[in-house]
Amino acid sequence: MSNPLHKKHDFIERSILSALAFLKDATLSEEYANRKGFLQSLDPRFNTISFLAFLVTAVSLKSALLISSLYLLCLILATLSGIPIRKFLLRTLIFIPLFSLFIVLPTLFSFVTPGEPVWSFHVVGITGIITRPGLDGAVLFVVRVAASVSLVVLLSMTTRHSELLKVLRVFGIPQVFVLTVSMSYRYLYLFATMIENIFTAVKSRVGVVSHHRHGQNIVAWNIANTWNRTTQMSEDVYMAMLSRGYTGEPRLLSAFHAKPQDWLWLLCAVVICAFLFYKGYTL
Amino acid sequence: MVFGAVMIPIWSAASKAVKTTLSVRQVPYLAIGAAFSFVIMMFNVPIPGGSSGHAVGGVLVAILIGPWAACIAVTVALVIQALLFGDGGITAIGANSFNMAFVLPFIGYYVYKIISSGSPAGSTRRIIGAGAGAYAGICAAALFAGIEFGLQPLLYHTANGQALYCPYGLNVAVPAMLFGHLLFIGWVEVIVTALAVKYLQKQDAVFFDGGIS
Repeated sequence: MSNPLHKKHDFIERSILSALAFLKDATLSEEYANRKGFLQSLDPRFNTISFLAFLVTAVSLKSALLISSLYLLCLILATLSGIPIRKFLLRTLIFIPLFSLFIVLPTLFSFVTPGEPVWSFHVVGITGIITRPGLDGAVLFVVRVAASVSLVVLLSMTTRHSELLKVLRVFGIPQVFVLTVSMSYRYLYLFATMIENIFTAVKSRVGVVSHHRHGQNIVAWNIANTWNRTTQMSEDVYMAMLSRGYTGEPRLLSAFHAKPQDWLWLLCAVVICAFLFYKGYTL
Repeated sequence: MVFGAVMIPIWSAASKAVKTTLSVRQVPYLAIGAAFSFVIMMFNVPIPGGSSGHAVGGVLVAILIGPWAACIAVTVALVIQALLFGDGGITAIGANSFNMAFVLPFIGYYVYKIISSGSPAGSTRRIIGAGAGAYAGICAAALFAGIEFGLQPLLYHTANGQALYCPYGLNVAVPAMLFGHLLFIGWVEVIVTALAVKYLQKQDAVFFDGGIS
């Protein structure tokens, strides 16, 4: 039976987990994007533009209350799109907003942010004073991070990744760049599987590596080996591209068709953002 | 967003450099470089004390495919990370790209070039150069990130002085960013880059004769 403490410190196990986490995240996102739901029914271009508008609004607003209303809208959209709220909250609220909270924790106190005290306490002879400006600033920072992360995660969960990358063309990004991004994304699946296989093989042969120097050599050798295998592969990929009619000028298929409801949704998004900006200005 | 504007001419120069140097045959090579720079972060590196950390690998990618191609490759990796996995932030792509796709590979690559200049492809000097480049690159990127964080309370605040974004000034943000990178993260980068170059030299030294500089 494996010792959980050992597992936590085992770099082989952690490398396998990193690769698996990527594959799981990508597969889960595609699963939700293929479901029937409100955001999935929209044209990815309109979906992306509306979410970018929400994101810019969340980043620009100076009121935690108004940003919270955008976060609430995000949760409503997630529900309408068939995303399990518990899973969505776990994914968006656990790591990044908690990390942000950790960063802003010192700013709560009077020694960093002086101002009107709202609460004080004594611990082992030290007095801590939480101030109003410190609390307001910390709340604004964490709410903004939570809303921004939630918006981006919801967009990536409800839009097929291949379509989301194709949308980059709408913003005038050159086709070669979009082609590179799309190809890279496909390679990522392959590489993540490769890493998982390599480390599973290493684990089955050496078990747990006791000395860090030995472990570092294993990792470096595997990075070098991954690079060698992938560069050899690029020649095969180029040949495959040629056999499919690639002439040096990339052409991406576009199957986007705007419907009246897409325009209606975009209008709603613009109205919501304009309203929030107006409220933010008058507050 | 300001750094998005700063990055536009850099991305444009990178596209031109890559277009004139890489042949059509090497488009998949660039895509593979981008995917490679993404997956390097999946490798956990054991460190003394029983724990592990992960490297960024931007300097290694720059040594392998050249700094301009690395600029595009790392940008692509950051775009995929931010857009598809909600990690890194879409509005921060400009600043992240400036630090990790421009400062890191260019400083790291030229430190490597200066140290390894004139040495044969299989020499130890190249390994030392790669390690020094990795350390210089990651610490310079951390310094720039610290400056960008530290400037935010000066530039973006409410009428009563409350910071709207990063709450810490330069006196806190720069030492905080540099401390971890100079003492810990930088060394993880050194180990990974130097050892990977050493193994690549053993496998095929020809990799160190190419690149787009």
